[in-house]
Amino acid sequence: MAIMNELPNAPGDRKPEYLGPALIAGGVAGVLTAVPFLSCLCCLWIIGGAVLGARLLSRKTDANLTAGDGAITGALTGIAAAVVVTFLFELTPLGRISTDFFLKVIERWAATSGQTIPQIQDLKQLQTRTGFSLPGMVIDLLLSSAAFALLGVLGGVIGVSLFGRKRPPVFPQPPQGPSDATT
Amino acid sequence: MDTPATHLIPPAPGPEGRRAVGLLYGLTLAGTLAWLGAIFLAPFLKSRSADTAAAFLYAFFAPLCHQLPARSFAFCGYPLAVCARCLGIYAGFLAGLVLYPSVRGFARLAVPSGRLFLLLSLPIGLDYAGGFVGAWASPMGVRLATGLLWGSLLPFYFLTGLGELALRRAARKGRPARPGAGADKGLVDSGRKNV
Repeated sequence: MAIMNELPNAPGDRKPEYLGPALIAGGVAGVLTAVPFLSCLCCLWIIGGAVLGARLLSRKTDANLTAGDGAITGALTGIAAAVVVTFLFELTPLGRISTDFFLKVIERWAATSGQTIPQIQDLKQLQTRTGFSLPGMVIDLLLSSAAFALLGVLGGVIGVSLFGRKRPPVFPQPPQGPSDATT
Repeated sequence: MDTPATHLIPPAPGPEGRRAVGLLYGLTLAGTLAWLGAIFLAPFLKSRSADTAAAFLYAFFAPLCHQLPARSFAFCGYPLAVCARCLGIYAGFLAGLVLYPSVRGFARLAVPSGRLFLLLSLPIGLDYAGGFVGAWASPMGVRLATGLLWGSLLPFYFLTGLGELALRRAARKGRPARPGAGADKGLVDSGRKNV
């Protein structure tokens, strides 16, 4: 019995626990997405976070992971990241700091390059938050969750393709009985 | 990394499975066209003074992209809703989708090899890393091109992942619920790689 428990599971006989790795990876990706300057990596943090989620899932699971496992983990990672980003942007000063940071970058670039950016006032109006709004936060959360989940699917499948392969399961040989030659 | 896992290669999906993957492909193609359309629609609406609708679209893409005007192509006098690199990734995704039926077809699901992924990730990774450390500031055309190259590989992961889930669902509908029912029915074969 002990030998059977140590064996990798066959693909159809296990259901990996997706949530734990997805929450950890989503938290990391969400924070990195929200931090000014680091956030210039755009959507790649979400894809990278989902790759991390697949990696964590792979370490927790003995069986070979399939692309579907990666897709589920990645989608959950994306949703977790969306929750973290929305929380950080709406309920902490990080959103304001991030917006100010990018507006300063734009203004500095415009000043050094001698170009004028007529849209900068529009951007200020667009990106300046006027305060906490629960409906706005819910809409942000829903839209971000949908977009991040799709990006997470990509990252999860990429992660499984890179880290999901395990050794083929080795099944125990039945005990050998006495051969006919000895009888 | 590229050792084929022969123990996971079952028969190809049947007609029902191919239909499910084809439907998924159509939905993904429509969604990608809408996604790219929204990127161009934002500046177009802005130029037509439809500020609220434009603001909504810009805000939708804001968590996904820094949207710096200096690093974005302009359309109708206003920056696109995403930067040049992101535009390249999404346009590359569309290009990969268009190529998908002739490259892979709907009869099998498999992810690209790790080597191919790393090879196509190298240009965008180097371009980003060089810009990040201040070694160079690549022009927008280079950002677009590296994003395009990398993005073209992504549909092969996206469709494989979601395709396998669709096949699992089809397998569950076809027989009494049992964990892994699709595996022995030849419906879940995306654990393998295309070496």
